[in-house]
Amino acid sequence: MMRPYFQAALAVGAVTALAAAIGDHITIADDAMLYVIAILFAALGGRGPSIAASVVSVAAFDFFFVPPRYTFAVSDTRSLITFSVLLVVGITSGGLIARLRAAETASRERERRTAALLAFTRDAAAATDLAGVRAAVARHGVHDDPRFDEAIANQGKLAIDRLELAEVAREAALRAKAEELRNALLSSVSHDLRTPLAAITGMATTLRERTADSVELDTIISEASRLSALLTNLLSITKVESGAAPRRDWVPIEEILGPVLVRLDKELASHPVTTSISETLLAHVDPILFEQLLLNLLDNAAKHTPATTPIDVVGKRDGAAAIVEIADRGPGLAADQRAKVFDKFYRGRTSAPGAGLGLAVCRGIALAHGGTVEVSARDGGGTVFTVRIPDGEPMPDVEEAEAV
Amino acid sequence: MIGDTILIVEDEVPMRRFLCSALASHGFRVVEAATLAQAERAATYARPSAVLLDLGMPDGDGLDLLKVLRERSSAPVIVLSARDREDEKVLALDAGADDYLTKPFGTSELLARIRVALRHARGQTVTTDVVIDVGPIRIDQARHEVTVANQRVHLTPTEFRMLAFLARHAGKVLTHRQLLHEVWGPRNAHQTHYLRVHMAALRRKLETDPTRPRWLTTEAGVGYRLVDE
Repeated sequence: MMRPYFQAALAVGAVTALAAAIGDHITIADDAMLYVIAILFAALGGRGPSIAASVVSVAAFDFFFVPPRYTFAVSDTRSLITFSVLLVVGITSGGLIARLRAAETASRERERRTAALLAFTRDAAAATDLAGVRAAVARHGVHDDPRFDEAIANQGKLAIDRLELAEVAREAALRAKAEELRNALLSSVSHDLRTPLAAITGMATTLRERTADSVELDTIISEASRLSALLTNLLSITKVESGAAPRRDWVPIEEILGPVLVRLDKELASHPVTTSISETLLAHVDPILFEQLLLNLLDNAAKHTPATTPIDVVGKRDGAAAIVEIADRGPGLAADQRAKVFDKFYRGRTSAPGAGLGLAVCRGIALAHGGTVEVSARDGGGTVFTVRIPDGEPMPDVEEAEAV
Repeated sequence: MIGDTILIVEDEVPMRRFLCSALASHGFRVVEAATLAQAERAATYARPSAVLLDLGMPDGDGLDLLKVLRERSSAPVIVLSARDREDEKVLALDAGADDYLTKPFGTSELLARIRVALRHARGQTVTTDVVIDVGPIRIDQARHEVTVANQRVHLTPTEFRMLAFLARHAGKVLTHRQLLHEVWGPRNAHQTHYLRVHMAALRRKLETDPTRPRWLTTEAGVGYRLVDE
């Protein structure tokens, strides 16, 4: 602590001795310059030693060299200027050096912190779990500087976030893998089921041709066809849940509804079906998936409503969306049932046959188109299913499609 | 029709048994092939009048055999395929297959397809008659006139071309691409919505109940058919 002052005193003493020894060969101005050197040397020790050195230098210079010599008296006012120069040099150089020192210390401290932070970041990045991050914090963290501790905390938090993200990604990959597996299984199962089913249907229809009325064969044929419909639904749900984009085209709703009504001829035989679809109603849909959607909704309506009650199909546009409503006059659905009808394998309070897949497939298909299917109570009794499919692109102009 | 030879290309034994049994009991001669290699040989020595071809064969792509068959003979090929394989069907039809059957199917569908295919094969694949009758619909190609149950129906030129093309191939499915190519030319072969809109208009003019078409049926994901019976 005192060492810089001692060095300052030594420097002033040495300069005084030197000046005294060679005093005959130099002028008094040179003596002053020698003191400047001593002060600058003392300044290396900091502001205090520098000021002390300048004060002592002024005193020594005055006492030994300024006439009258060996007194503190001053006969020449010019010497006063020399004194002030020496004092100013002492104060400013000391200040400058002190500032330089401080800057150097700060930069060294910064460097140390950066290195520590770097080491911490490296350790934290290498950590594969929370314990690893904690160990890294323990190894590198908690310094006296709050800013540094904050930086460590931030880096630690980033490391934890990274771990959490990696965990989420790993889970998503796992889920996708499971889904992929499920879909592959489902599609291979349904293929393996369909192959024998095709043979059964074929054989039964061949036999049916050769046999007069046979309830047994008719049942085999109709049950095989029911099984086939179920497999189609299973495959549809696999398709939409696998995330494959529907292959959308502009299709008149009528064109899709037509084959559905024909295929459901038997199921709908006891229900008068009215259709009200504007002639030019185009929907932007995957024709195959949308046919499945309408088939399931109409099949559902036929199954869950008493014979002779009507089913009304309305198709219309609402801005940039196509709407299809399928309304029945059946017993209706309680509010708690309405919330669940679209769930997979939900079968409701019904004795009607079915695996509870049909409406889940409907929802899946609507969702795959960015659309919705909703169920509500119908005014005057019954249920309305509303399908809403927003256009995936602006509707093309079909008026100019006349061939030349 | 008795004596026509049908080549069955199908790897599943029960399915082959059904096809053989159904066809044999309707007077067809049947030749079976369980692999594409067998099928290629059988196509040469048995000279079938028609081929039933399952596209999912274990020893290769059924489409390759289809191309070979198309080079060697004009015997119609009916493709057997699964429900969710519309792309495969369209590919096969555009590559020269005459029709398709979606599994599972019954005897009546099978026979109906084979009869249409054989009839078209005999008439050099398309009807050249000037006047074509399909159910209640009569198409006079020379006078560009269409009547339904003797009632004159006015069609636009596009509608008439579509209907005439379908009628010349009555009973046979035509893909979107084939129809677009015929009616609008090769440049518009992807504008299926043109086709769909005109088909809807045509149905409204020809069908008693256009929402339940009896004659102009849609084959979802594939094309259209003018039903002929």
